[in-house]
Amino acid sequence: MTSVLIVDDHSIFRSGLRSDLDADLDVLGEASDVDSAVEAIARLAPDVVLLDVHLPGGGGGGGAEVVRRSPQGTRFLALSVSDSAEDVVGVIRAGARGYLTKTSSGEEVSRSVRLVASGDAVFSPRLAGFVIDAFGAAAGEQAESTAELDRLSAREREVMRLIARGYAYREVATELFISVKTVESHVSAVLRKLQLSSRHELTAWASARRLL
Amino acid sequence: MSTPPAPGAARTSAPAGTGRAPLLRRPSGRTPGVASGLAAHLGRPVRQVRLALALLSLVGGFGALLYLWLWLALPVQTADGRRPPAATVLPTAAIGLGATAACVVLALGDTATRQATALPAAPIAPGLVPALACAAATMCWSLMVDRGDPARGERYSRLVRLGTAGLLVAGSLGLLFGSPAAPTAILAVLMLATGAVLFVLPTLVILWTELIDERAARARDGERAEIAAHLHDSVLQSLALIQRRAGPGTDVARIARAQERELRDWLFGADSAPARDLATAIAEDAARIELEHPVRIDVVSSGDADGLDEATAAAVIAATREALLNAARHAGGDVSVYVERGRGRVDVFVKDRGPGIDPGDIPADRIGVRESIIGRIRRVGGTATVRRGRGEAPQGTEVSITVEEQHD
Repeated sequence: MTSVLIVDDHSIFRSGLRSDLDADLDVLGEASDVDSAVEAIARLAPDVVLLDVHLPGGGGGGGAEVVRRSPQGTRFLALSVSDSAEDVVGVIRAGARGYLTKTSSGEEVSRSVRLVASGDAVFSPRLAGFVIDAFGAAAGEQAESTAELDRLSAREREVMRLIARGYAYREVATELFISVKTVESHVSAVLRKLQLSSRHELTAWASARRLL
Repeated sequence: MSTPPAPGAARTSAPAGTGRAPLLRRPSGRTPGVASGLAAHLGRPVRQVRLALALLSLVGGFGALLYLWLWLALPVQTADGRRPPAATVLPTAAIGLGATAACVVLALGDTATRQATALPAAPIAPGLVPALACAAATMCWSLMVDRGDPARGERYSRLVRLGTAGLLVAGSLGLLFGSPAAPTAILAVLMLATGAVLFVLPTLVILWTELIDERAARARDGERAEIAAHLHDSVLQSLALIQRRAGPGTDVARIARAQERELRDWLFGADSAPARDLATAIAEDAARIELEHPVRIDVVSSGDADGLDEATAAAVIAATREALLNAARHAGGDVSVYVERGRGRVDVFVKDRGPGIDPGDIPADRIGVRESIIGRIRRVGGTATVRRGRGEAPQGTEVSITVEEQHD
């Protein structure tokens, strides 16, 4: 059973999300600001933290601050009403493994929680669009080797494009004649690049959110 | 204060009924528009107002003072639509420049005659003070009356400044070489200095007003950011919750989504220029379709937005709209749109999760897909395909539109 901690400063949203999640997800608790979230994560050690990007308290860093102050290995899935690049990229670069908008259905959130719990990444179409933009993939930039962090490989770009087009992982796999597992590993590779790359577009976003 | 009647000023009579015209300056190019503005407000002919002002000026200069005060205090009527003709634009500056020139010539002539008749050099040549006054007046006019006048540009005010400063410099040089004595040298330096100040002053004034404007704008931005943060934390969250609870496609969710989008546009979109690029246009169409059909459309875009010729863009937008309408009518639910620009091409994908249609099954008389999507894109040199998703059900339909941009 996957254990979940819900971090959001709106109690209505927390209870709404709690009742929407699938029955096989075990909600350990809730937290409403940065400090209580950091404390609850340390105490409860949940598999996945459902994290609001905009959170009060702490040093004013919001969800990204929670990620940075939590022990390594905690898995975060970011939820936000905002889909602005700064918010999304900020929390992903801080270490979150996925990003969903708050309008996503309970079913979608549950599925994403399971993906994140098993170590995979969750990319919404919009996040995939950002990634293509941020890595200059639409303009034709392409990585020469797998070690390169600042550009996407041809395959990663294909996967990102399909996700941006609204394909589920399973559909991406069918489309590219690869297994779902391979799709997931491509997405994880892109997530790693997103977090480690020093492309100026990404660092600019990150520094705007005071992450550096 | 005898100003020539402004063209069309007599037409600006007060509107009939209860409402008076607002008290505004109506600059016409030659006049600052005080009298005509006052006339429009009082509902009197402009001639009477001017006469009254002239008569009042006889009473201790009251009329003149009132005129000046109104000139300073009244806001300018901007949304006039009527621009002063170019012919009336130049004379004001020309009169000022002419007066300056005349005074300079007078001053030079004066010193010359004094020298010729071997009189002691006058402490102040009589033409100089008026010359300085005229120069200053010209500057003030071009700064205060003409600034913000859409009919006049940067180049006009630069010309006026150059003219004024040039005349003063010429005058001072004339003085200096005409009679190289100590008093004239002082005067000449004074004129040079005034010329320099007149040349620099407008720039300083403009910088100063820009600074003030910017400070005000920043204060406004700060206020809006605060409101945005508050609404973000309350209203947007509630709207998101409503959409989650109501499920996609329901009326409540649609209204909440439309509200959310409007609020978001207002909160975050006001600063960015209304770039009418492809993705924005498609997103607007999607928003409209969402309001009328039980569907949720997510528009994602990437790539830069520059240079796509209008006919191509219009065709792509229209074809995408048709694809979205099809998806909304026949599939419903969630629809994804992805717009990608780059490497000299534009790609648009519209994917729904409905039962899926096969392009082979479409009857020949169905104009929607064949003509509005495929034909339209083919006519601008691109390709459009409609296909059913692979894999198990629900397969959905995806419309792909690709147009390579022509390079010439």
